[in-house]
Amino acid sequence: MNAILYHGEPNGPSLAVLAAAFETGVQVALRRIDLAAGERHGGIPGAQAPELDYSVEGEGPVLVVDGVAMTDSVFLACYLDDVAGGAILRPADPYARWQVMAWCRWLVERVAPAAAYLGTAAMPPRTVPVGIANADLAERWEQAVTGRCDAALLADSRAKTAAGVTRVEAQLADGRDWLFGAIGLADFETYGWLCGMAPLAAEALVGRPRTAAWLARVKAHPSVARALALATVPEPEKVWAPGPEINRWG
Amino acid sequence: MTGRVTLYHWEPNANSGKPMLALVEKGVSFDSHYLDMLGFDHHRPAYLAINPEGTIPAMTHGGRVLTESTAIMEYVDEAFAGPPLMPADPVERWRVRWWMKFMDQWLAPSFSMIGWSVFVGPAMRQRDPAEIEAAIERIPLPERRTSWRKAVYGLFGEEEMAESRRRVALGIDLLEAELGKREWLASDGFSLADINGFNLAYGLPATRPEAVNDQQTPNLIRWLRAIYARPATRACWALGRTDMAKRLAVLEEQPA
Ligand SMILES: N[C@@H](CCC(=O)N[C@@H](CS)C(=O)NCC(=O)O)C(=O)O
Repeated sequence: MNAILYHGEPNGPSLAVLAAAFETGVQVALRRIDLAAGERHGGIPGAQAPELDYSVEGEGPVLVVDGVAMTDSVFLACYLDDVAGGAILRPADPYARWQVMAWCRWLVERVAPAAAYLGTAAMPPRTVPVGIANADLAERWEQAVTGRCDAALLADSRAKTAAGVTRVEAQLADGRDWLFGAIGLADFETYGWLCGMAPLAAEALVGRPRTAAWLARVKAHPSVARALALATVPEPEKVWAPGPEINRWG
Repeated sequence: MTGRVTLYHWEPNANSGKPMLALVEKGVSFDSHYLDMLGFDHHRPAYLAINPEGTIPAMTHGGRVLTESTAIMEYVDEAFAGPPLMPADPVERWRVRWWMKFMDQWLAPSFSMIGWSVFVGPAMRQRDPAEIEAAIERIPLPERRTSWRKAVYGLFGEEEMAESRRRVALGIDLLEAELGKREWLASDGFSLADINGFNLAYGLPATRPEAVNDQQTPNLIRWLRAIYARPATRACWALGRTDMAKRLAVLEEQPA
């Protein structure tokens, strides 16, 4: 198996997949690309696929395995987990696995779009890359680059980030260390989207001691620390590219 | 895990139809609890006690409650014996999940917007406005209250409707192209992606005959017919109670 992971700075979905790769021990060659400069468009050798152009995640990492370009961080982590035997990043029990998958679905549908919106509003990318096949992704780039941020969407994104943190805090209420049993997919994915939110949605994290302690624990976990060590900038959590769209249907 | 399985569902369609068809394909017997979505059954206390978000479907297995139709399908595949509905190969498993998310989160919302504006909205406007407004007030998710209001009062904007039409047309093209690559949508064998996609696309030959037909989308039609021919699909669609399920009839016709 020849696997190459094209990843951005360790933040958001790139951080989640890097940590997943290190946690599972699956051998992947690492190639850094500048997602915020749009290098995913045309920058992945030989890769042409609807799964690359229409990834709901927007600008996330790409894992190319024997010529197949795969996207979407949650499913890349599932792939790595499946290759490693299927129960390192997710529990073995079907109901506990359902809990993790349903959590991730909620996270990527409600929290990730909000985080990406706040992130790109604060740190807008410089130019819209050429060659974006997906028109709605191109529109999100256009809005991010020109700073056409909608006040209502910013407020909504802060509210959704706060709602996300509320749910994390509740999940940790029984004193557990990780979101579901052992550290895994849900922790990496949730951490990736939330770790840069403190300066962007400060009120969301006020009075959330369990979440604060969990963020610190995840950050110090070896596979996450190893991913963070790949940063080429002092604050990778401040590097954003257009992400998933804000839900257009309830 | 042992215990009875109860599925709370509406018509075999969209999110409801996904776990319904997965259970039938898998050979799992379940108690079917039909909710009349247009009668707001899913916002009544009895159902909110099961799924506080008031969306359909939900499934109980023994004492446990599961929501999120796609995640429920993966659970059904893993928790019960019966034919596997996920491929064994990790790349194919990834592809199944990718296409399900693309359909769930990119394509289906556009289908919903169009369906609700041409079908749900007009149906609601036949009814007592005060009763409908009271029903909308009881919807737990604020986003859904907004969607219902837009549908009932015809408030979808021209721009968002145009975007939904663009996505449906593009989605049809992408599905057609993908189904030209292999027999089933995302893997060499029948999988959850086919169950998911069928629930989204089965109505297209009836509702968009100008775009989805033997000439323009031969692979899409071939695939829909192949799924329709499966005994599980017949059994599942027999659980429908409205005319929606009848949109399947065009799949009886053989290619000209
Ligand atoms: N992500 C959920 C969505 C469930 C959902 O929205 N279901 C629709 C029916 S297909 C619904 O409940 N609509 C009624 C409403 O929103 O009031 C899933 O896949 O189960």
